[in-house]
Amino acid sequence: MKLNIIKSCLLLFLGIVAISCDYDNFEEPKSTLSGRIVYEGEPLGLRSQGVQLELWQHGYDLFQKIPVYVAQDGTFSAVLFDGDYKMTLIRGNGPWLDRTDSIDVQVRGSQMIDVEVDPYYTVSEPTYTVNGSTMTVNFTVNGVNTNNALEFAGIYLGRTSLTDAVRNEGASIVAGGDITLGTPVSVDVPIPGGLAGRSDVYVRVGVKTIGIQEQLYSQVGNVGL
Amino acid sequence: MKIIKLYTLAAVMVGLLLTSCETDWLDREPTNILTDDQVWNDGNLVLGVISNYYDRLPAHTTLTGGWVDYAAYDEAMWSGYSGNDWLNNLVTYDYGRWGLWDYGFIRDINLAIDKLQELSELPEDQKNQFISELRFIRAYVYFEHVKRMGGVPIITEELIYDFSGDPSYLQFPRNKEEEVYDFIISEMEAILPTIGNGGSATRANRFTALSVISRAALYAGSLAKYNGQMPTPITLPGGEVGISPSRANEYFGKSLDASREILQQGGYSLYNANPDLGENFYEAIINKNGNPEVIWAQDFLIAADKRHGFTYDNIARSVREDNLGSSAITPSLNLVEDYEYLDGSSGELRTRTNDDSDYIYYDNVEDIFANKDARLYGTIIYPGASFRGQEVFMQAGVAVWNGSGYDLMESSGLGTEYSDGELFTAAGGPHRSIQEVTNTGFYLRKYVDNAAGASTRGIRSDVWWVRFRLAEIYLNGAEAAFELGESAEALGYINTLRVRAGFGANSLTSLTMEDIRHERRVELAFEDHVVWDYKRWRVAHEKWSGNTSNPESMIYSLYPYRVIRPGDARDGQYIFVKSVAPRFRAPRFFQLGNYYSLIGQNLIDANPKLVRNPFH
Repeated sequence: MKLNIIKSCLLLFLGIVAISCDYDNFEEPKSTLSGRIVYEGEPLGLRSQGVQLELWQHGYDLFQKIPVYVAQDGTFSAVLFDGDYKMTLIRGNGPWLDRTDSIDVQVRGSQMIDVEVDPYYTVSEPTYTVNGSTMTVNFTVNGVNTNNALEFAGIYLGRTSLTDAVRNEGASIVAGGDITLGTPVSVDVPIPGGLAGRSDVYVRVGVKTIGIQEQLYSQVGNVGL
Repeated sequence: MKIIKLYTLAAVMVGLLLTSCETDWLDREPTNILTDDQVWNDGNLVLGVISNYYDRLPAHTTLTGGWVDYAAYDEAMWSGYSGNDWLNNLVTYDYGRWGLWDYGFIRDINLAIDKLQELSELPEDQKNQFISELRFIRAYVYFEHVKRMGGVPIITEELIYDFSGDPSYLQFPRNKEEEVYDFIISEMEAILPTIGNGGSATRANRFTALSVISRAALYAGSLAKYNGQMPTPITLPGGEVGISPSRANEYFGKSLDASREILQQGGYSLYNANPDLGENFYEAIINKNGNPEVIWAQDFLIAADKRHGFTYDNIARSVREDNLGSSAITPSLNLVEDYEYLDGSSGELRTRTNDDSDYIYYDNVEDIFANKDARLYGTIIYPGASFRGQEVFMQAGVAVWNGSGYDLMESSGLGTEYSDGELFTAAGGPHRSIQEVTNTGFYLRKYVDNAAGASTRGIRSDVWWVRFRLAEIYLNGAEAAFELGESAEALGYINTLRVRAGFGANSLTSLTMEDIRHERRVELAFEDHVVWDYKRWRVAHEKWSGNTSNPESMIYSLYPYRVIRPGDARDGQYIFVKSVAPRFRAPRFFQLGNYYSLIGQNLIDANPKLVRNPFH
């Protein structure tokens, strides 16, 4: 009997050890901040991982930014703790005028925000027509802030929706001088050999402003061949 | 009783022992540290301190630190240990890459200058010479900072915290970029009369200081000029980044004056001891025996156990002496083709006939490289070139004629035999996927030691790291002169260098900026220049645009194949295939935010007066 008492005490003790602490001392963040980069209510197409937003939270010892990358369709999201944050746009990072004021963001549970920016140029929704081994692309470039000239418009073809100036299988460039703002442009683009055998390709049009690294893109179009 | 007596005796003796010591028993000179008085009053100990500082000078890619990054740009790629394949797969360069904020080192230098001034009782001229040398090192460290970070706070004295709870008087804002360059140039000018060390290639002397001016003023001048020519120049409102284009000519002038003084009065000359021009160029860098070309180097010595493993890691696979390692940095075809033919034609290798209908056939693998700039041989081991007297033969596989074309076949191993009894894939590669054998079809020669045993882990190498040599001064002089409109002088400098590379006298009759940049690339490859040159010319984001369709962003390879075509005259000859190197994955991608490196948030938190660099 004595032995049994010791054994049961041991079991009880083990049980207490097993339940007495969690693996982790901290709750993981649960609130989601999501949003879009918009101009006149429309989300802007960008290069995946090209534009970074910064979230800062004052009042704690560790003052480090939380980088938030914007996806190619102009959306972003971050999982955060509830709290008051300031969102900043890095100067010269995106294809829009610098916005030097920070944006106050209160995160209480899930939160949606639209970040309004003032782009240099926008591209209106293009249309694509396939004729054999060429594709005819119609689009219009609109000037919003034209102090910096339009360097070129590029048409990018790729095999995934992550198609942009960096990741593509074929690109055609229309020089800025050949584009009249607000007037439709029609370009015939050869479909590169590497894409010819596919049933569909992804296409988008980007506009490049002189001196700004990132381009502003149309949303990705999926075109059947 | 007897025992008690004994105890008493012992107690008395112990008591005597304890009291008999000197009174200052606890008050002694430490045997394991040197005091300030000892160090700063002994010339040899001061020299020891300064040697330590020379050894700590920062650099991006040298033989001992950061050399893997030679494989991160367009001169070479990584073919060594496959765990380092990230170098071939850099999606973008990190904003923090090249970052440097070594105020610990600057404080050490400032402290040393203070101690020499306040404590030392060494003879005045010896003290001045040490102080000049320390100021040289400090200015050089600031140069390493400014070329990476833009303007940084110039701190020239020891900062001491008073524990008052308010550190703001220790927080200095960033100086302007041009102020830092001005500081470097004026410090170097100030120490010229007192630095001494004439004739030394490892301690700084008058001409070393002038060499730093030659390089730093050229950087400042081209930053001023080419940043100003960007569609939107990279600047910060406080001038921490961005130099006014109006100052470009002033800087170019300073650089040119310094270069002229070195060329005319320095007593240096281009190394020309070996009549074999290719070997001569190789020796010009690694020969430590009275080399007239080297101005400033970081030396190593096996006898003193100061050595490095650069040769072990980078020697060509087929001549390695160890059972592991080798072939880490392998030069790209891009760089090989930058070496011109001696008749002045473009260096593009001729692998296909003019109408692109067939391969060009060569009797020997090395024939395709005949009549090239001798610096190709001196920098790179190409197929069929020799190293340490052994031929480094390379063959990727065989090209079997099938009646209408060639089937290119490669072996899965090295040093294998094809079914016809002849060689299949050479012991030296190239190979598509095996690690520690070249993936590009080339090996590195520059800085790889040809001494016996140097590629073993037991012996290693003591080849020195050349920080400045006369050829760079010629190039700096040519560039500055050209920027100032003195093309005749620039042309003379460039042609001098080309004569040593095997071109005839006056091989160029006119000059463009592109010629000068090209000459710089082929002369100074693997000497820690390419990144800084591309940055100051503001071309890095165009050269490395991250686009697979931009050949300058990609790394290309050249694979030789032996032709199998029985009964044909071409049987047994060699053809060459150019392609993107198989282990190379992501095009080089340099963003505008890479022109100046990230200042960490921890630094900004500690000193809120620091402003962030553009695009960060």
